[in-house]
Amino acid sequence: MSQSLVITSGKGGVGKTTTVANLGVALASMGNKVVMVDADIGLRNLDVVMGLENRIVYDLVDVVEGYCRMRQALIKDKRIDGLYLLPAAQTRDKTAVNPEQMKELVRALKEEHDFVLVDCPAGIEQGFRNAIAGTDRAIIVTTPEVSAVRDADRITGLLEASGFEKPELIINRLKPRMVARGDMMDIPDIIDILAIDLLGVVPDDDYIVVSTNRGEPAVMIESSKAGQAFKNIARRLRGEEVPFMDLSDKETIWERLKRLVRFSQGG
Amino acid sequence: MPVKQDVVFRGNKEGLEIILSDVQDFGVLKEKLRNHLKRAESFFQVSDVILDTGESTLSLDEILEIQNMLAYPYGLRLKKIVHKGNSSGDKARERREAKRPAAPRPVDPQRARPTGPSHSGLAASLQETLLHKGTLRSGQRIHHDGNVVVLGDLNPGAEVKATGDIVVMGALRGLAHAGAGGGLGVVVAFRLEPTQLRIGDVIGRPPEGNAKSGREPEVAKLRDGMILIEPLEGTRWEGER
Repeated sequence: MSQSLVITSGKGGVGKTTTVANLGVALASMGNKVVMVDADIGLRNLDVVMGLENRIVYDLVDVVEGYCRMRQALIKDKRIDGLYLLPAAQTRDKTAVNPEQMKELVRALKEEHDFVLVDCPAGIEQGFRNAIAGTDRAIIVTTPEVSAVRDADRITGLLEASGFEKPELIINRLKPRMVARGDMMDIPDIIDILAIDLLGVVPDDDYIVVSTNRGEPAVMIESSKAGQAFKNIARRLRGEEVPFMDLSDKETIWERLKRLVRFSQGG
Repeated sequence: MPVKQDVVFRGNKEGLEIILSDVQDFGVLKEKLRNHLKRAESFFQVSDVILDTGESTLSLDEILEIQNMLAYPYGLRLKKIVHKGNSSGDKARERREAKRPAAPRPVDPQRARPTGPSHSGLAASLQETLLHKGTLRSGQRIHHDGNVVVLGDLNPGAEVKATGDIVVMGALRGLAHAGAGGGLGVVVAFRLEPTQLRIGDVIGRPPEGNAKSGREPEVAKLRDGMILIEPLEGTRWEGER
């Protein structure tokens, strides 16, 4: 029973590609056969985040146009078995494919993989319509910012109008300390607005920047909190019941001391 | 008997529009276009031309011939080519597929719209070597039947594909494909740090890890079915077949 999922957000820069890369690695390392599809034609990134850029020979548009076979375009991950990437074309644009072609593509990929993860481009135009075509589950990524939540709300409406009954939500880049101080939108605030099921919360993690630049998704690093959160989400996608992580991150004595010193200096 | 107008001139705000219909014989069409140009000569107040080829498709050579006809002695610049065929239909795709491997087309990367039937900014010359001034950025590409020289960098995500040699007078960080179509070719760059190199049918990529090239010009060539990279200085060209 294979699943096809689209990871979308409306707003750019909230972590769609990072989410796809991490979920892909996590699911594959749990023994699933996974293919990640980069639907961001013209602005591809997933290959870079996965560190597979230099292996691209054929891409999604080549497959759709019948210029090569699917198997030729799929890039096998260099570290994890059962993980494949179908890269986007960089020198074309969103109009190079249409939703019907994407539907057929996803259908074909589902036959041979347990999970098909589609990385959706930002925006609500043709790229978005292409990416959601043929997938049967939608995941919306947002950050705890008013603008991102606003766009997530718009996307939720569009997805529901397109027949996705229950889009699910990932809240990315949450800073528990800022939430505690009341400086950042809290999880209930966001859920209150969007009114969709929460699939997971990923804490802000400096390691994500490092891992993105190195082409190694954070789930590969044991100590990364974001990586752990993505692993939990992957398990939930597999149908497991996983409790939400405790994100309240305790201050170390040293940090506490620093804060107290700063406080007393501030008067 | 009503005379069918094969060539129609029309001015619009973008420039002079030349509409061709029913291109059966290119020689005849050319003659008609030449006569039209001569007659209309004194009216040209614009320099940009939009060529509407109607239902028919012109080959690259034919387009370049028209381009030259407009340029000398009229000083008209072929800015855009419009084609009436259905853009997303099977016909257009078939044509594109048929063309793609056989006839690499010089395309101005700044304005390249490879998906549509309308191609603007054709390379200015028919010469065998295409000179591109400026850096090629991600998503831009040059496909050329001949050699390509880039006066600038070739960034990751950009690609140059040439049936001959490729010379990058700068840093080559993207994709270069020399000898495309199964031929032979070399790739030369001041800094050779490609994402991927292809020569003929051979594909090579740099080893994993951050192996930066030395800060000297290097050349990549095919040797025993492998892509070999060596300093440009002292490279032996006579060894090439």
